[in-house]
Amino acid sequence: MKTASGLLLALAPAALAATGPAQAGEGSVEYLYSNYHEDDLPASRSASGKAAGRYQVDSHMFRAQQPLGASDDLSLDLTHERMSGASPWYVMPDAQGRPVQVMSGASISDIRNAIDAGWRHDWGRRGTAKLGLGYSQEEDYRSWQFSLEGELKAWDGTQSVTAGMSWFDDRLEPTDGGSPLYPGRVIEAGKQGGSLYAGVIQVLTPRDQFRLTLSTLWQQGFLSDPYKLAYITGSASTVADSRPDRRVSGALSAQYRHSLATPGLALQADYRYFQDDWGVQAHTATLALNRSGSLWDWSASLRWYSQSQADFYAPFYASLRGDGLASSDYRLSPYGALGANLDIGRRLGAWRLGAGLGVYRASEDYALGSVALPNPGLVSWRNGYLQMSRQY
Amino acid sequence: MRLHQHEFHALGGPCGLSFHAEDDAAARVSAAVEAEVRRVERKYSRYRDDSVVAAINASAGQADGVLVDAETAALLDVAATLHEQSDGRFDATSGVLREVWDFRSGRLPEPAAVTALLPRIGWSLLRRRRLADGGEQLWLPRPGMALDFGGFGKEYAADRAAAVLRAEGIRHGLVELGGDISVVGPHPDGSPWRIGIRHPRDPARAIAAIDVARGGLATSGDYERCLIVDGRRYGHILDARTGWPVADGPASLSVTAPSCLLAGAVCTLGLLQGARALDWLADCPQPWLAVDAGLGLHGALARAEVA
Repeated sequence: MKTASGLLLALAPAALAATGPAQAGEGSVEYLYSNYHEDDLPASRSASGKAAGRYQVDSHMFRAQQPLGASDDLSLDLTHERMSGASPWYVMPDAQGRPVQVMSGASISDIRNAIDAGWRHDWGRRGTAKLGLGYSQEEDYRSWQFSLEGELKAWDGTQSVTAGMSWFDDRLEPTDGGSPLYPGRVIEAGKQGGSLYAGVIQVLTPRDQFRLTLSTLWQQGFLSDPYKLAYITGSASTVADSRPDRRVSGALSAQYRHSLATPGLALQADYRYFQDDWGVQAHTATLALNRSGSLWDWSASLRWYSQSQADFYAPFYASLRGDGLASSDYRLSPYGALGANLDIGRRLGAWRLGAGLGVYRASEDYALGSVALPNPGLVSWRNGYLQMSRQY
Repeated sequence: MRLHQHEFHALGGPCGLSFHAEDDAAARVSAAVEAEVRRVERKYSRYRDDSVVAAINASAGQADGVLVDAETAALLDVAATLHEQSDGRFDATSGVLREVWDFRSGRLPEPAAVTALLPRIGWSLLRRRRLADGGEQLWLPRPGMALDFGGFGKEYAADRAAAVLRAEGIRHGLVELGGDISVVGPHPDGSPWRIGIRHPRDPARAIAAIDVARGGLATSGDYERCLIVDGRRYGHILDARTGWPVADGPASLSVTAPSCLLAGAVCTLGLLQGARALDWLADCPQPWLAVDAGLGLHGALARAEVA
């Protein structure tokens, strides 16, 4: 049976095209609390032989959005995060030569504050442009970000081209850098980078939409992790994590979205291929079912990920490489991962309440191909959030 | 800055706007909004022989059809969606039923006369071809077919008028065109506009009040034009598939939505559901208020009842 929510969904594009974006502009405020919690490192993968707690992040975000005239709107995001726990430090072989994880001894406790401002201009049926500026600060880190995005719609509204660029400039001053305790840790460093993307969205039928996006990211400067070490078995010693001072990557994403006969219900499939000049190749596939446009909205998704290792990565090294590069970071190791997310929201007049849960598990078993020496630090985590927003 | 009001007559009924502005801007703003309402009326009036609607209807049965601009094409998309979503109960070509339905006469039409008109009704008979400028070429294949923008034209005009208010720099104001309302923004102190909803059986009284800060509010009811024959009420909401009024629907329905066009669409299609209206509205994410024949109130806005 056709219903009012189906009518609103079906009519929204035509109504927007007829009356223009003016009526769409509503101000809103939103608060979001989220918790990210990494599972303990299992005893079997820990150098100490005991399970060890890992990282967790409590995050509070406040967002306000305000229309400015008929076709502009401004947004402001304020984020406050508290990170705590321990993180992987280095990997060493155990008595059988299997890699085991050494965790950072001291418990990390840090606070991150971030502010992001955005300005969006709407040309109605022709397209939109968005400008963003962000600043984020931690005790040992600060980052500036700038982004510019645009979308151009084709005349009949069935095709649009999107393009964007972003730039960042980060400075880091690691805790205890250059101190007698951590002489190998850098005192101060910086990195910069930028990204470019371009994509096309093609509406195939009123129910089917295809999107293709090509993107590239380049980074330069200090790309190592100042808090990680790599283990050299020959000398039974550690060296600082050391990576190339340049990284260029490219990615190709394809998305297919199909609206089902039930109004508001859509199936979405995504695939992304990633490659960089450190030798990492990665595949991501996501399948999601979304329901929107009625009092209740929800989304359920499943994601699979697999990557190959960086050329210079090893869980540990027999001797220092000729080029001096060394990293045992699990994020540069070969692995695969599975993730699932469930989000649900309910509208109550001008209010919307939302909640979500996510689980993620990285494992050598999920990778394409076989992994000879899995990194013991591969992470599993769960997160949850509560959100409330109000339109005014 | 203070509250200014301007009233005029257009689209077959009383129109008004209320907005907060500096005194020296008020006359210019009022004139600009009224001019926009009159532009939409002139363009889509079925009573003017120089309107777009007249040109479309004059082309019925012609091999070349008629060319219409992008604004009209966008409204035809709205009409197409309403037809599809109502399973044909709403049909922008059903205006020909006015040839037999005269709600001032006190008499029902002959059933045979209604049936005789049905072949001239049929949105799905229309042929449309998009043109590169956003406009389109449109064919009404049968002579005697006619299109009109009743059911969404006035709501569209309200949204257009509100867009002009906004373009004039007004942040606090609303436009009302014969009961269809488009709100630009709340009063300067942030309080919403309180809008009385007419009692369906007593035009002098309000049955409820609805607060609107932004977006559209549309109300439609069986009281606007109706025939009462042998104690039975025949409302002006005609089912295009049969040519007869929908029976056993709500006496009145009010909906708020991001735009008046959307609110009006829910109202129109909701009333067309007849006895199934409340089921059809059950999953509506936008707040609504239905007054049933027994004057009971339903929907999220029912709490706003006036004592």
